[in-house]
Amino acid sequence: MQRYVMDNNKNTNVKDFQIRDELIQSLKNRFSTYGYKQVRTSTFESYDMYSNIIGTVNKDEMIKVIDSSGKVLVLRPDVTIPLNRMTTLNGLHQDNQRVFYVLDVFRQSKEQADQKESTQAGVECFGNQSAETDSEIIMMAIHTLKDLGFRNFKLEVGHAGFFKELIQQTTLTSHQLDALQSLVHSKNSIEIEPFLTQLDIKEDVRKAIQSIPMLYGDPEVVMEQAKSIIQNESMQSILQNLIDIYELLKAYGEENSIVLNLGLINNMNYYSGVIFQGFVDSVGKPVLMGGRYDHLSEQFGQPNPAIGFAFEVDLLIHALQQQGLTNNLGAVADMIIQYDQEVQTEALRSAYLLRDYGYQVLTYSTSSDMINNNLEAKFTARFSSEAYLLYGQGTKQSFSNQEELMSLLQKEEL
Amino acid sequence: MEPITLALAKGRPAKSTIELLEKTGEHFVELHEDSRKLVFYNENQSMKVIFVKALDVPTYVEKGAADIGIVGKDNIMESQADVYELLDLKIGTCKFSVAGKPNHEIKNNQKLTIATKYPNVTKKHFQTKDQAIEIVKLNGSVELAPIIGLSDYIVDIVETGSTLKENGLVVLEDIENISTRLIVNKASFATKATEVQNFINQLKSAME
Repeated sequence: MQRYVMDNNKNTNVKDFQIRDELIQSLKNRFSTYGYKQVRTSTFESYDMYSNIIGTVNKDEMIKVIDSSGKVLVLRPDVTIPLNRMTTLNGLHQDNQRVFYVLDVFRQSKEQADQKESTQAGVECFGNQSAETDSEIIMMAIHTLKDLGFRNFKLEVGHAGFFKELIQQTTLTSHQLDALQSLVHSKNSIEIEPFLTQLDIKEDVRKAIQSIPMLYGDPEVVMEQAKSIIQNESMQSILQNLIDIYELLKAYGEENSIVLNLGLINNMNYYSGVIFQGFVDSVGKPVLMGGRYDHLSEQFGQPNPAIGFAFEVDLLIHALQQQGLTNNLGAVADMIIQYDQEVQTEALRSAYLLRDYGYQVLTYSTSSDMINNNLEAKFTARFSSEAYLLYGQGTKQSFSNQEELMSLLQKEEL
Repeated sequence: MEPITLALAKGRPAKSTIELLEKTGEHFVELHEDSRKLVFYNENQSMKVIFVKALDVPTYVEKGAADIGIVGKDNIMESQADVYELLDLKIGTCKFSVAGKPNHEIKNNQKLTIATKYPNVTKKHFQTKDQAIEIVKLNGSVELAPIIGLSDYIVDIVETGSTLKENGLVVLEDIENISTRLIVNKASFATKATEVQNFINQLKSAME
């Protein structure tokens, strides 16, 4: 018989799940403090919906299933699109709906064929279009990263419209556009100049496109540099929008967490306004991505301005582990009670009481085999016929009944 | 302060890269191309150099195991890593070419068999030409393939062309110029901006 030792599911043991759960709880708490409410979307979506919408998930990456009537369905490849559709069709955006989600998304790629599911935790804010909303969303991303204990992180902020406006001044074929995008994407300042020179582009537009990849860094400096490549009024208003957002982030006192990256291009083509991604130490990919997408809903028949972002939960866990920030997460239990058989009644009654108060309690008889195992808890209580003892972190105290145990624990502020 | 990690390609290209590093004024203890050691530090421990297989350099950098990599464009293209490519070090220059037997021009509208060590580069090149191909992935002595009829053509890096010549092959088409490049991890570029920029500036002035 074949033994399946290769396990594609990460974090499948108990401790890993606790770390994951506590991480998600911390994200949820932070999202709630900004007035966001949790929702979920269906696991099965219509394939037609995704294949009709322009600029979304690559069709080859979606995992398809066929139901009994022969209709093609896909496993939820994305959360933003169904949420946007739901909100737009129900007219909920008129009330400035704010939602968050923690859901698995399913995609397959040739490069990572064994990794088909990943968890996203994200937020979406519908029906509101202002620099205040944009900066609040970015602020929420910063706030969450701080909650998780990351000391060194950066949010790169750019604008989907900036590059698009410049491209509209040119007549590139789709092959050329792809090549140009990947040059900008990799900040390849070596090859971008010869590439642009061989194309038929106006001198000032060419210079502007050429400078885009290096418009990166301290927002004040980059904004000043960007002024020199403004081609028209809409680029002017895009830059003004970024300046407004930056000024508001200053009001929160978080301008040092931001770098401006005008060469930022997101693979999701539906973004129309500010876009951003977050990086932490020792993880090569962004742990969060997001931006404003005001025109996606027009494909559902109504305008519904919206902005959102999502964390890649698996990458966050990886980052926390790399930086040693998971040590306090996923403790086994609050309290272990060990008892001699003669005083079993007193021990079990104490366990009942403690659990009533919400403590996590494990009980073991000293005669059981488990007692010699390396069990870890914040406290250990020993019930023997001679004495009752409470062991804390380096402390040892005696008690005579469950009420005294309770008050000792409360003093220790468990 | 965490040191910044620099991934270098083992083997032939290492020598000229080490020379360039010495010129930046950073001195790495015991660093020379013949050493069997794989990890080196500079004197104040602010920088760490690791030696890995050339094709793995982009992967180390993409995953964030190294902040900066110095490696040939051929390996960057083949690995398709999502990294920043910021500097041309102008060493190790050669080119990607399609080669085959003389008087054997590349035909269109007919499926071609190409032998190569670089399947991704090959696929991409012929895709932009809308040419259907079949790839035979080899790990060395690619020049042999057309001679014994394993493939119609080969895609390989060509430095002087003497290996091709000795095996009776000629360059039929150039794909792209190659040289040694400096690549940077996208997260490091954001979170270690000062250190990365400083190193790039050091290298730039060393090249002048």
